[in-house]
Amino acid sequence: MSENPVFLPVRQLAELVRTRAISPVELAETFLDRLETLGPTYNAVVTVTRKRALAEARRAEREIAAGRYRGHLHGIPYGAKDLLATSGGIPTTWGAAPFREQRFDFDATVIRKLGKAGAVLCAKLAMVELAGGMGYRQPYASFTGPGINPWNPDAWSGGSSSGSGSAVAAGLVPFAIGSETWGSILSPAGYCGVAGLRPSHGRVSRHGAMVLCWTLDKLGPLCLTADDCGLVLESIAGPDAADPDTSHRRWRFDSAEITGRRFKFGVIKGVTSGCDEMVIANFTQSLETLRNIGSVEEVELPDLPWEAITRTILHVEAANAFEDFIAGGRTAELTAPEDHYSVYARDAILARDYVKALRLRGVMAREADRVLSRFDALVGPGRATIAPGLDQEFRSAIRGSAPDIMGAIGNGAGLPAVCVPNGFGDRGLPTSLQFMGRAYEENTILAAARAWQSLTDWHRRYRLSPISRR
Amino acid sequence: MSADDPERDTDAEVERLFALVRERYGDRLTPAQLDEVKKGVEGVMKAARALRAVKLEPSDGPFPPFTPYRAGP
Repeated sequence: MSENPVFLPVRQLAELVRTRAISPVELAETFLDRLETLGPTYNAVVTVTRKRALAEARRAEREIAAGRYRGHLHGIPYGAKDLLATSGGIPTTWGAAPFREQRFDFDATVIRKLGKAGAVLCAKLAMVELAGGMGYRQPYASFTGPGINPWNPDAWSGGSSSGSGSAVAAGLVPFAIGSETWGSILSPAGYCGVAGLRPSHGRVSRHGAMVLCWTLDKLGPLCLTADDCGLVLESIAGPDAADPDTSHRRWRFDSAEITGRRFKFGVIKGVTSGCDEMVIANFTQSLETLRNIGSVEEVELPDLPWEAITRTILHVEAANAFEDFIAGGRTAELTAPEDHYSVYARDAILARDYVKALRLRGVMAREADRVLSRFDALVGPGRATIAPGLDQEFRSAIRGSAPDIMGAIGNGAGLPAVCVPNGFGDRGLPTSLQFMGRAYEENTILAAARAWQSLTDWHRRYRLSPISRR
Repeated sequence: MSADDPERDTDAEVERLFALVRERYGDRLTPAQLDEVKKGVEGVMKAARALRAVKLEPSDGPFPPFTPYRAGP
């Protein structure tokens, strides 16, 4: 291999693979070695799927040599959050000790689609137990240990897609698949300084993914660049009879040149409320940069209990999805002490309040669409803080201890958002910027994020990370 | 429930709902854990209060709306 493939975006790797400058087998071996040697440093990996990876890489190599190149992901290694079912005896643990030995005899639709695109599954990546649905309050909430941030080993990598964020940031895989119910893609992407795309609800099939909340769960990519997120999404998007929530709208990534394109950005009044000082400073600076490619206008939303709406729906659905597990007292087997009991309080949610939340969700969806119809994207900080310390209880809108209006609306209304790095805060930890769009407008927000990344180099700073340079 | 003092009514509702939760799960929880669960119930009621404070029209139904199921054409 003439060029070091680590930290090359998927688009560049794909060109090297297509032109046979890099062999898919060598590529897989490079990342498998990194997963095995560096993965434990970050508590990023549950299972390295070496045997399967090498078989998929050899197949890719044969096909490409025979002139049957499938596209950008052909021969490209990746990791999947360990809530996606995988066949072949590979465990699917949901990050939870009680499910350590769980195995499925089929591949989740996303895994199957990535296989069809020729991508090479190299690892099942660590995650917060049960995707954080039992009410965790601190990073040590997985049987694999707390996710460790490649930028600072004393800081959390975010959650619940902890390993998906750190593995991409540390160059253990070129891209990863994560899931988000509320914040679980944007949090690790933001804390680890990579790009994370939360697609519209229904854009990507959840068949074979652990169910936490039927109306809130989404699957999406974490990559080095927004452009890569588009490449990956194109391979995993689309209708699936096995997931009745999937949209019938087909999606192709529009990677057309964005130079000269002007955008209309909205900023929700008060969106930085509760944010760290450095997060606010970097966001303010980002708005100045965004003015080079478009207009920025403050918008005011009606005074509605946005967080309470989404939180109520999330709490009820998660408690129902794990009804038997909870009733059987099995939460006591989880790693985080607070996960043993926090979920019990959800029995106090009354039907009248749950239905009221569902009715208000309609108001939320219509109001968000009304506002977003005037803009290409609403922008805001990707995360309100830099990554918390490993032993630190963090604030969370899901528990009601922090505001997160964009997360509440984005997830409650099923809207797409992409999170990209926009600077650094204390302790050398990244801050981030999010672009949230109208339902099914992934191409618009990706164009905005790509334009942002064409003006900045934060997404190329990973090479300076002291740990990931090893 | 009196409509005169919503705060007191809410406190009473927290107590009643916490009693229900304690009845169901109390035997598996330590006193410290029960205290934490009670804080959780207070959080539930805080959210409920915020939801109840918003006036909606009867025509504002749950979202997404119900659709009948039919297999095949």
